[in-house]
Amino acid sequence: MNTQRPTGRSAAQWRTLDPRTLAVHCSWMGAPLGSLTLTALATGGRPGTGARVTLAGIGVAFTLVTLAQIIRWRRTRYRVTADSFELCTGLLTRRLRTVPLHRIRNVDLTANPVHRIFGLTVLRAATTGSSDDRHELTLEALTRPDAERLRSELLAHAASTDADDPVLATADPRWLRYAPLTFWVFGGVFAAAGSSYRALDAAGIEPWRIGFVRRSFEEFGNSALWITIPLALLAVGVLGSAGAIVLYAENWWKYRLEWADADTLRVRRGLLTTRSVSIERSQLRGVTLREPLLLRAGGGATVRAVAGGLGDRDENRKRSVVLPPAPRAQALRTCAGILHSPESPLEQAEFTPHPRVALRRRLVRAVVWAILPTAVTLTVLGVLLTPVLLYCALAFVVLAAPVAYGLARDAHRSLGHTVCGRHLVIRSGTFSRDTVALRRDAVIGWTFTRTPFSRRAGVLTATAAVAAGEQGYRIPDMAADEAVGFVNTVSPGLLDEFLDDESPDRPARQSANPPRRW
Amino acid sequence: MPADHQHHPLRLRQPRHKPDPRARRWWTVQALVLPSGPMLLVAASLFVLSLLFFPGALPWLGPLLAVLTVGALGYLLVMPRWRYRVHAWELGEHAVYAASGWFWQKRRITPLSRVQTVDTVRGPIQQAFGLATVTVTTASSAGSVKIAGLSAADAETLARRISDAAQLVPGDAA
Repeated sequence: MNTQRPTGRSAAQWRTLDPRTLAVHCSWMGAPLGSLTLTALATGGRPGTGARVTLAGIGVAFTLVTLAQIIRWRRTRYRVTADSFELCTGLLTRRLRTVPLHRIRNVDLTANPVHRIFGLTVLRAATTGSSDDRHELTLEALTRPDAERLRSELLAHAASTDADDPVLATADPRWLRYAPLTFWVFGGVFAAAGSSYRALDAAGIEPWRIGFVRRSFEEFGNSALWITIPLALLAVGVLGSAGAIVLYAENWWKYRLEWADADTLRVRRGLLTTRSVSIERSQLRGVTLREPLLLRAGGGATVRAVAGGLGDRDENRKRSVVLPPAPRAQALRTCAGILHSPESPLEQAEFTPHPRVALRRRLVRAVVWAILPTAVTLTVLGVLLTPVLLYCALAFVVLAAPVAYGLARDAHRSLGHTVCGRHLVIRSGTFSRDTVALRRDAVIGWTFTRTPFSRRAGVLTATAAVAAGEQGYRIPDMAADEAVGFVNTVSPGLLDEFLDDESPDRPARQSANPPRRW
Repeated sequence: MPADHQHHPLRLRQPRHKPDPRARRWWTVQALVLPSGPMLLVAASLFVLSLLFFPGALPWLGPLLAVLTVGALGYLLVMPRWRYRVHAWELGEHAVYAASGWFWQKRRITPLSRVQTVDTVRGPIQQAFGLATVTVTTASSAGSVKIAGLSAADAETLARRISDAAQLVPGDAA
């Protein structure tokens, strides 16, 4: 682990962040200044009192923040010694953090557009057991070559032999066709419209006053609705799809997934904001194949790595994505490449289906949580106010029932679990069908959950605890009779001392005291 | 494998040890502090207010308040007993095994080789009853075990035994 390094503990020089960082910090001024400029334009260069007060406030804030940033910049320094990374920070309180190099699990380089203008990049190093901020070190910001060098120094303890076929996947422009299947197309357009309205409003511009907007709305109201409404929907759909494609391109431009060396998996991507995430193999606990409903209908899937040290849950969701929406076959190949097995356990797996009662439970859930509340509300309002709502309630039930049934059927069909060699494979979900392959030796605990309802149905939910990704991976509604046996197969020996000695007896005896035994 | 287990399904037994009987009172006080007490208070004050000032509101407010009261009382009476029946714990040779919950019941098994820290926590209400909770954490938040409602002495012994055992078992806690 301790490779020979030219610098000893005492010889290592303290290094500082790049001074251009200060310029980047000033970029927050962009939004308020832009909005002020818009106000100035809209008012013809005679800003009101409100704008003047804002301007003064911005000036004061700017001075204070810049001062703080200068102090912070001057006080932040770091060095890499023979066996650890030391970071000295602090605006008011000084802090020296020393992290042994062998605890550093992965190092990300991220640069947003402003950073890139100045040729800078932000380095984040996560350490073992990272599920909160204390375990993460952030250096903002270094020049790109400095950051690359520091990353290789931090990860130098890992062996650096080349893998057979290091590149697992690269960007393919044809994958752009999956973009509209992922983005929340209609909602995205409305969200964008809402925020631009807010921005205009803050700048003192009222869009309703602009003649062009008003005219088009008047015409919209007057002409035949049966043609304008579909047209408007179509326009929103096209806009949303275009937005989705742009987002996809921004996130996944020059995407490349590769084994940087035998022990480091690396993802690089991004057009304006470039990201580079490195995951050490010892932290890799498995993969997730995600197939959201629409994407699945289009034959696509995405892949996430189940890896430790990728930050808290939100950070993990952002950083663990290793394959953008792409054809399913490609996704399976990528999974196999990440798991380093010739054939993907996701593909080979023959899933044990879950009992039929699980379907009933899903149907009940759909009725109780999705159909009943709306139907009851509409009915009550209909009785109280107007009979039209009664028809609405009826129409809703008639339309929603088949959809709910279809989704429940699909959710039940998705359920499955199996053991495939070194991996535990779990599949569940309908809105997003997730197939997870976890290394069996990475499962560090099991939880069995049930309610009085599930007990009567004879099912329970088993959760595998993993120090990575979502932390717990659920096998929902598996047959209660089979659950303990299955867990025993996945993690042999773990349950032995807690098993019921009488269990190999006749089934008749099991019903003698059901509440106590699972 | 599956065929075999269909004939003789493996089953988990109840963990050997129950929490301290005083835990029932602790859970009752807890229920009184958080949902039940405030709910009853709201119901009572709304009832008095409407009786004094808006008697016309009683016909529709009455049933709502009744539901609130029954819910609060039901939770207060049922939850602690139910919870006491479910809760149990056991320190095995290689793992900690704990049952918890009341409506959503869970049984969790965490190998000692994966234990990172063992904490004993005593909240203000717990202190009044001489109780404590032992929390065993692992690198995965889904693997952490909480054993609640132990007598303070038991908790201390258990925490020590777990940390001793965790050090004895070789393994990588990460």
